[in-house]
Amino acid sequence: MAVTGRFVLLVALGVVPVVVLGGSGAEAAWFALLGWLALTVGLGVLDLSLAASPRRVSLIRDLPAKVRLGEPVVSALTVVNTGERMLRATVRDGWEPSAGVAGANRSRLVVAPGERRSLRLQLTPWRRGDRRTEQVTIRSAGPLGLWCRQATLASPGRLRVLPPFHSRVHLPSRLTRLRELDGRTPMLVRGQGTEFDSIREYVRGDDVRSIDWRATARHVDPAARGGTKLMVRTWRPERDRRIVIVADTSRTAAARVADEPRLDTAWESTLLLSALATHAGDRVDFFAWDRRARARVTGVTGSQLLARLVDAMAGVEAELIEADWTGLPAQIRAVTSRRALVVLLTAADSPGSARGLLSVLPQLTARHTVLVASVQDPEADAAAARRDTLDDAYLAAASERARLDVDRVAAAIRQSGAHPVSAAPRDLPPALADRYLELKSAGLL
Amino acid sequence: MTPGSPSDVAEVAAPAAGSAPTTASTPRTEAATAVSPTIGALLRRGRTWLVLAGVLVVGVLVLFVIQGGVRAQAGLLDPESPGSRGSGALVEVLRSHGVEVAPTRSLDAALDAVAAADGAATLLLFDEFATLDADGLDALAASGARLVVVEPGFRALEALTPGVRMAGAADGVLDDADCDVRPAIRAEALSDGQRLLTIDDDARSAGWHGCFSQDDGFAAAFGPSPGSGGGDADPSAASAPLSLVAATTVFENSRIDEDGNAAFAIGLLGATPDLVWYLPGPADAEATAAPTLGELTPGWVSPVLVLGLVVTVVAGLWRGRRLGPLVVERLPVTVPAGETRQGRARLYARSAQRTHALDQMRVAAIRRLAVALRLPRTSEVAAVARAAAAATGRDATSVMRLLVDELPANDARFVALAAALDDLERDVAAASRPDTGVRPAHPGPTAAGPTTTTTATPSDDQPGRQR
Repeated sequence: MAVTGRFVLLVALGVVPVVVLGGSGAEAAWFALLGWLALTVGLGVLDLSLAASPRRVSLIRDLPAKVRLGEPVVSALTVVNTGERMLRATVRDGWEPSAGVAGANRSRLVVAPGERRSLRLQLTPWRRGDRRTEQVTIRSAGPLGLWCRQATLASPGRLRVLPPFHSRVHLPSRLTRLRELDGRTPMLVRGQGTEFDSIREYVRGDDVRSIDWRATARHVDPAARGGTKLMVRTWRPERDRRIVIVADTSRTAAARVADEPRLDTAWESTLLLSALATHAGDRVDFFAWDRRARARVTGVTGSQLLARLVDAMAGVEAELIEADWTGLPAQIRAVTSRRALVVLLTAADSPGSARGLLSVLPQLTARHTVLVASVQDPEADAAAARRDTLDDAYLAAASERARLDVDRVAAAIRQSGAHPVSAAPRDLPPALADRYLELKSAGLL
Repeated sequence: MTPGSPSDVAEVAAPAAGSAPTTASTPRTEAATAVSPTIGALLRRGRTWLVLAGVLVVGVLVLFVIQGGVRAQAGLLDPESPGSRGSGALVEVLRSHGVEVAPTRSLDAALDAVAAADGAATLLLFDEFATLDADGLDALAASGARLVVVEPGFRALEALTPGVRMAGAADGVLDDADCDVRPAIRAEALSDGQRLLTIDDDARSAGWHGCFSQDDGFAAAFGPSPGSGGGDADPSAASAPLSLVAATTVFENSRIDEDGNAAFAIGLLGATPDLVWYLPGPADAEATAAPTLGELTPGWVSPVLVLGLVVTVVAGLWRGRRLGPLVVERLPVTVPAGETRQGRARLYARSAQRTHALDQMRVAAIRRLAVALRLPRTSEVAAVARAAAAATGRDATSVMRLLVDELPANDARFVALAAALDDLERDVAAASRPDTGVRPAHPGPTAAGPTTTTTATPSDDQPGRQR
């Protein structure tokens, strides 16, 4: 039960009869007051008894299953009046605050018996993951609009908010670089990780070392009498390499660097690298790992991959536990027995927290090419350069110390045969993509 | 993903976006299940508490009936009160000795009771809040009853005995009656907690005398009624028309058994067969009060005030009723990454670890200098210092002192050295790329790597440039 503002106004209007009748004496004024209160309560009870039941309602949700973070989406809720009275309702849909409901989330509906009305809420979620609503609250007012009946009805809904993939702006340029590497612009360099592509005629600029003399001997030049055409061999990077991306979801991933949690940077990097690798014809497997696999996408290729990835990532949040890297090699072995590019998205910033990672790196590098990508704090660089006051100088010293630690860990990673990549949060996804292209062009995959 | 995205991205990522609105739930027509309980369900759920509350209410009512209704608040010298400050004990004793005690709370009733007792009555007056005015006091004095005034106020003294004044509290037990009033002689002593009255010469000559003296004051004073003219007062004080007892202690339940209190009180009050116990009540005050605020304001003001209260409560109900339960946001954990850095800086600052802090900056600077000067990573500090001095044209000793030797003696020197390190790095960076002429924002660990300086001018013949 609830009362409306109109009822409050009605009660307040009682001042008129009280004052008018109170001119003749205090007794009359008291009677006027009592009479007015009785009248308003009577009207309220009458109104309440005429209000439609908020329980005799059925609800139908129409909700897109997914939306990308930051994009608006319309959630439709249809209210069907199954009772016999006119339903004058104020409806609130119980979305989480982070679902970003536009407006006050109070919708007024008038639904005749047996009819249905649809209310549309615009949602702009501002957090990744599953945004939920569990219930819908309906407040049904009587015909006079004085007293209301109220009920909360179960109507679960879920909107999966996908990671935003801001770094897709870097994709076109990297794809161009990839095409240059790929068979469309054949390479004349032969090396490990490249495979034979074709034989074609020599043009000026080609490396003379790649001239295939046997093929040249077989190709008679019709234009020059007795002459032959110079043929060169072309190579292209090998395709169908395996890439295993492991995102660390342990407590270090909860750290917010430059106003972006490490985990979100990891998702961006994963998406960009996966998009690029799919175009390059490589196969991508993905884990979110701390002490066990929190999410896993394996054996998916082509256009399905990114859809599966964002879906798997949506629900994963950083856990406040220490990562256990010792289980990781077995997981990777289960995915592929071939040599693969293993990309570890983690925080390699202090020798203490990176010890677990460093202890398993030799196992991984013995079989695979390993990239260790970690976010570098741009504020540390800025703080290290600011040395004006005493506090600044101490902060600069601490920042230098942090950077020395990062260098030390990077050196240790390099020593165990892996490749460290570190950059500011916004720059890490393209840096990782560039590193991948470098490795691919060098045939190191 | 909106359809207007770049085509090559859309080609990759469109399936991920799922922009096509697929319905998450199938349409249903059955009524939605209610989460909030109906009023009936609420009553059923709270049955235990309702029953308990009912039992409690019934129990209280039964107790109320057994106790015989609400009693008037037990006040000071209340004749019915068994409490520590009442006078139930004294009244019971007097009654058991055949004295008719008539408690009253208004002047008219007191006068009626005195009249009904045919003049042979004692009237105890205790006016705690000084409600009686001079007319009332005169009427009592003229009623013909023996008056016993307990703790007389200023107004009562002024009206009845202009020569007697209150004079503060007595100290300790008063064990000398020092007068020929019979109850006082019998009592022999009064307990601690008495107050004192002084009697001036005029009053003394009018027949006033006191008992239980201390210094110049008396715990009780006896004299003629103001109307009787005085002078010929009967010295056998039991029949003295006016008695003043300075403190209530003598009559209180908690103190009546101390020393001679009981004997004094019974002797004073039990002299006549009728005792009127008069504590002036609100009715006595009302007759004389000025018109109240309620009488001066129009009749509708109070109802409107009540209406305002009701409107406030209803408005509170209107705004306070929540539209459905609170929704809980499940927040993920996030930690600012710079916290450890700042914490370490504060640790340095608190323990004033200037040397240690400076060492961190020196080690980092030496590493970067080695990179900028294209020296091998394993170069000694002295070699780096020499190369830096050569590159910037500084004195090698001063560079060495900056990089290694000098210990910061105070905070100012520490800040100066930190800044000087930064300057040296800038100078070296500028010297190793004179062609650009633009100083980099800050040489990062890799920013000044050998690969970035391939366009150096031939004039700069640093060793290792050709690497």
